[in-house]
Amino acid sequence: MSNATTVDTHALDSDKIAVRQPSRFSLAGRTIWTPLLLSLLLVAIAVITFMIGSRPFNQTVIDVFVRVILVVGLYVFIGNSGVMSFGHIAFTCLGAYAAAWLTINPAMKKISLPGLPEWLLATKLPYWQAAVLASLFAGVMALIFGRVLMRLSGIAASIATFAVLAMINAIYSNWESVTGATSSVVGIPIVRTIWPYMIAAVVAVFIAWAHAISRSGLALRAARDEPTAAAASGVDIPRERLVAFAVSGAIMGLGGALMAHSVGVVTPDTFYLGLTFTTLSMLVVGGMGSLSGGVIGVVLLSALIQALRWLEAGVPIGDSTFAIPKGLQEIALGIIMIVILALRPTGLMGNREVTLFRKKTK
Amino acid sequence: MAYKTRLLATALIAVSSAFPALADDDKIIVGFATAESGFMEAYDKPAQDAAMIRIDEINAAGGLLGKQIEVIKADTKTDRAEGAKAGLTVIDGGADLVVVSCDYDFGSPAALAAEDAGKISFFLCAESVKAGIQGVGPHSFSASVLAAVQGATMAEWAYNKKGARNFYRLLDTWTEYNKGICDGFDWMLPKLKDAKLVGQDTFKNEDASIAAQISRIKALPQEPDAIMLCTMMPGAVSAVKQIRAAGINAPILNGSSMDGSYWLSAVPDLTNFYVPVQGSIYGDDPNPDVSKFNAAYKAKTGSDPSSQYAYPGYVMIDVWAKAVERAGTTDADAVVAELEKMKNEPTIFGPRTFSAELHHQNTTKYEIIEVKDGKPGVVDSWTISEPVPLEALLK
Repeated sequence: MSNATTVDTHALDSDKIAVRQPSRFSLAGRTIWTPLLLSLLLVAIAVITFMIGSRPFNQTVIDVFVRVILVVGLYVFIGNSGVMSFGHIAFTCLGAYAAAWLTINPAMKKISLPGLPEWLLATKLPYWQAAVLASLFAGVMALIFGRVLMRLSGIAASIATFAVLAMINAIYSNWESVTGATSSVVGIPIVRTIWPYMIAAVVAVFIAWAHAISRSGLALRAARDEPTAAAASGVDIPRERLVAFAVSGAIMGLGGALMAHSVGVVTPDTFYLGLTFTTLSMLVVGGMGSLSGGVIGVVLLSALIQALRWLEAGVPIGDSTFAIPKGLQEIALGIIMIVILALRPTGLMGNREVTLFRKKTK
Repeated sequence: MAYKTRLLATALIAVSSAFPALADDDKIIVGFATAESGFMEAYDKPAQDAAMIRIDEINAAGGLLGKQIEVIKADTKTDRAEGAKAGLTVIDGGADLVVVSCDYDFGSPAALAAEDAGKISFFLCAESVKAGIQGVGPHSFSASVLAAVQGATMAEWAYNKKGARNFYRLLDTWTEYNKGICDGFDWMLPKLKDAKLVGQDTFKNEDASIAAQISRIKALPQEPDAIMLCTMMPGAVSAVKQIRAAGINAPILNGSSMDGSYWLSAVPDLTNFYVPVQGSIYGDDPNPDVSKFNAAYKAKTGSDPSSQYAYPGYVMIDVWAKAVERAGTTDADAVVAELEKMKNEPTIFGPRTFSAELHHQNTTKYEIIEVKDGKPGVVDSWTISEPVPLEALLK
């Protein structure tokens, strides 16, 4: 990581304006290193984990990959549009339950979730097919909600997204025959190999990158920085936000489906305020306006949490064991996050992305 | 970053290479994947202390199969994802028995991990039928008694001993446990000749006021003979207080979760209040062994158990160790087979039965605690006339 340099993506936007007709994939060519390097980081983590071969550590890293997917999903909307969303975990919830509906053994489903439609009751798909469908379902739902929400902007939009979260949570906590209400939904096949999670995280990173450099993504970022100018230049802001909202909804849904498969149990309260603030803080610490920030924020904070947990559990030094008091992990994490934000208010990466080469001057 | 990862990797390799040393043949390992922090700790800790008492007893008596029992622990932090990790941690540590959190929702991720690895898992005190074969798999058990048995016990006891005929049912829909108590009550009621349900209502644990529900009880032509209250802490205290403040003095029947004297000062001079328990924490249990256990608990932790939920931890190690002894091995399938052979196996806290269909208690002897003028004490004991059938549990 240390030999990678960073480049300002804002400048790329202005480049595009300066050179009227850039060749078709020039932007892709210049920015492809970002997703490649991030993927390399994820693959490296997966390979190291595989070589270590410890089951709890494997599970920890699976968790990290799921969080990477969720935070990348958040970045696609929040990072590009500049609108803070407190509601994205709702789509994670939709994805997780959709995965549960599609993968639980039909015999078990008939007892625990009798209210599902007949065709769904009889369905049992492999986990990866279910994850793709769950992601699409969440994406479509995001499209529907987004149609209404994306007309709002600023704090009104943020509160409205939060309302979506509260609404989905209320529905899923009470619709006994379809979601099992507040009871745990069990019987979801557990996937404990690390590769599917790694692949999904890499796919999410590439989708986020492709969206960010797409016409829609660039227009949205322009609207984020200069809404008036962007609108005057013909950018349909609600429409571009809607595209980002649907794409990020689908990624959140994918994360939700994989989260369900990593633990094997889903309950509505898993997908509420706790997860919302964990993922948001990871994005903010990493740098809201940057895909690299999202991924690195998750990896760094997760590593930090894990290190603190080990200290809580006790580390043998010589003959004695060094341990910090239980519960200090949360406090230490909070302090470290405050320090990072005090020193770097826009997060670790700010608006920059990791890449190998500096921007070529033309 | 890379340096950090390398450091972590080295640490992990060191840790994981230390594990096989633990898993050698002269020890039997019990792994606790329970909450050492977060709100579940209040439920897990007492039962775990009780389990430790039994483990110490066994070790002092020469161990199990001639081997000492060793304990390893991993904290679930009252979090489901952490629960799965905690389960995997103790499995990697070579646990022969994986003990998981009291509550089904919080214990199941670790139990599922154990099931996946072919290990026996025991919920410390879960009272939902899902905590076992139905919700985890064939190697999973619960050390407590089904919530439905509590509801059924109270209904039948009140019918026979208190002459109750007109019942009122008040359900707090917050948890599976609450619904379980009322399910057992619903199953028992039609079996009691002349007994009828004169009304029913629901509320939510977080409701600050249940005035509407109380007015409906008051509107009945005559006060019911007994109110079946299916609820739990913390909302239960407020519900009881409001019922009594409204001048309704009918007997209130409860599940075991209302055991304990810690909350009684909130409802001064509470009377006519009944709780089924596996053993009495008040020092008046008819079985002297229970009092002996309470003394051992006090010696270990510095205080008496705060509720009956410490007891299942002791029972758990007790029945598991017996099964291991009989199987002559800690091999999961052999031990499960021995556990499933147990029929009315005597324990200090009542008989225990497991079968190939149910790894939970669908009947047992309960001591009935009466709270009178704010003082709790044992007044009776009761075993339901027939076990609660699986259909009533799975509805």
